Amino acid sequence: MNPVYFGLRNLTRGRGRFATVVALLGIAFFLLLVTQAIRGAVEGYTTQLKQTVDNSLQVRARGSMGHVNMVGNDFILPQALLDKVRALPNVARVEPYLLGMSPTTGHNFAMHVGVVPGDTFRLESHGEAGSPRIIAGRGLTAADSGKDVGVIGQRYAAIVGITAENLDRATLTIDLTRTHPVIFALDRPKRTIRIVGIYASGYVFGDTQLFMPLDTFRDIYGVKEGISWLFVRATSSDKVAELERNLRNLFGETADVIAPTAAAEFARETTGAVSMLSTLGAVLAAALAAIVTFFVMLLVVRQRTREIGTLKAIGSGNRYVITAFFTEAVLLSLAGAIAGALLFIAVGAPVAEQVFAIGVTPFLDPQYRDTLAPTLSFASQLNPAAIATLVIAGTVVALVGSAVGILRIIRLSPLEAMRHE
Amino acid sequence: MNSAVPLITLKGVTKVYERGKSRVAALDGIDLALPERGMTAIVGPSGSGKSSLLHIMGAMDRPSAGTVSVAGQNLNSLPEAALTPFRRSTIGFVFQSFNLVPNLSALENVMLPLEFAGLGAEQRRERAHRLLSRVGLPERASHRPNELSGGEQQRVAIARAIANDPRLVLADEPTGNLDSATGQMIFRLLKEIAQDRTVIVVTHAKDLSATADRVINIKDGRVENGVRSDN
Repeated sequence: MNPVYFGLRNLTRGRGRFATVVALLGIAFFLLLVTQAIRGAVEGYTTQLKQTVDNSLQVRARGSMGHVNMVGNDFILPQALLDKVRALPNVARVEPYLLGMSPTTGHNFAMHVGVVPGDTFRLESHGEAGSPRIIAGRGLTAADSGKDVGVIGQRYAAIVGITAENLDRATLTIDLTRTHPVIFALDRPKRTIRIVGIYASGYVFGDTQLFMPLDTFRDIYGVKEGISWLFVRATSSDKVAELERNLRNLFGETADVIAPTAAAEFARETTGAVSMLSTLGAVLAAALAAIVTFFVMLLVVRQRTREIGTLKAIGSGNRYVITAFFTEAVLLSLAGAIAGALLFIAVGAPVAEQVFAIGVTPFLDPQYRDTLAPTLSFASQLNPAAIATLVIAGTVVALVGSAVGILRIIRLSPLEAMRHE
Repeated sequence: MNSAVPLITLKGVTKVYERGKSRVAALDGIDLALPERGMTAIVGPSGSGKSSLLHIMGAMDRPSAGTVSVAGQNLNSLPEAALTPFRRSTIGFVFQSFNLVPNLSALENVMLPLEFAGLGAEQRRERAHRLLSRVGLPERASHRPNELSGGEQQRVAIARAIANDPRLVLADEPTGNLDSATGQMIFRLLKEIAQDRTVIVVTHAKDLSATADRVINIKDGRVENGVRSDN
């Protein structure tokens, strides 16, 4: 009989014990997956942050508050600087924006934003909150460049009577001769643009904006060149400081350069702390599984001393017995891993949330204690990384847990078979 | 095989167990020569050294002094790693408690030594079936040990012991856990397989040992009154 098959057959010799051990190992592997889910949630959040603002520096014309001044263009950044910024080292992406107040006769106003189609929709005065969610229609694509199209915030859409249902025929007429009482009017022709999408940002002013292609914005507002707001993304977070210095040197007194210190700090401290805690948790969970395996396999060797001695007496080499024994340990461990995985799929996300609240939140910086947990997305799904973790952890646990048992097998003399008579 | 040449030769074999300061001589200068084929019974009171002698002849233990030769092989000079293949090819074991693997069928138990010897699966199966037929259990091949009687389990163990056709079979109290009738049946079987190999049986049962070809009386680690032989 093949030793691997022999090990497989040995696995279920004591069914009660097998079930108990699998349950114990299942809990350990479940905890391992929970720690990984916490780590995954925080890292996913960090990745999202990094994709939007983490490595991105804001450049605003000094004193403009980021708004475009349509009259004298005094406070917008010169267009020529754009190429110089792109030429700086460690620049991964440059996203220019033009912003302008919407024309209105009432007290309410909205923000119109010109963006390069495909760039992030960043919400003015909440620049850190990028990529609002499209709730109807679509965003802007490269094919929209120069076209009279726009994506509107849900509150702005409600004001002008645009809904998801009438989106296919929705238009918005921009009349720059009308203006808010405190904002200059512009002598520009009216322009009607077609609304192709509605977005939601989660806060009132963020939902009162309109994004349109940068070229279209220039044409409507008569701004041939210049930039009111610029996002410069560094190639990596450790290059942010260097890029910030270079941008300050480049713009001098003409612009404010705002580095993403809060996001960088989050990545450096919070993500690092959670990673450390979850790694510690994973090590403890794996150690628990290894301890369970250790005692079980030691018990197995003790109970089967006569049998192992007999096998050696009738001609089995150590390799055969060890292969069978190790196979049993691996399969036992993997059975525990499967049990843990099933438990994780069933209740992983809520348990991860609770573990995060109890075990991680108290260690966070004060500003994240109340706000981070609701933002995180804890997943109960088993992704390939989680499966790989289980398989590797299961094998390592079996190897570590059965090491002493294997040593005893090697040292066991066939004479034991006789002495147990 | 030349029956004039002994299969087993022991010269001045001594086995001393030391536990702390106490020193127990289980075997005390045993000289012995056992020929090829036939059944030898080793008898003697408990603690006389019977099992120690069997272990040394079975290459499972080494003497403290003296030389042991089995099937032309000097066991004193054989390294530890070579003892397993030697046992596999030359010696079969029968135990008092049968020592079958409980979760394997009778057939699978008999196939184990054949697996260790490297036989192919079909050969193993075919040979194991033949051996079970030889010990009168062809219909019990698929049964597990707990589904067999004590006598049946011991017959499976005997089939396993002769699976690789060893020249020597060592049986340690093979009837110790069996009733008298079953014990006699097992002895007959051992006697039968001793027709073409050497079988050495350690036993307390004097009536059974009387049927052996040779009887070795052991007392206090020494052979007492020589070896009685029917040959």
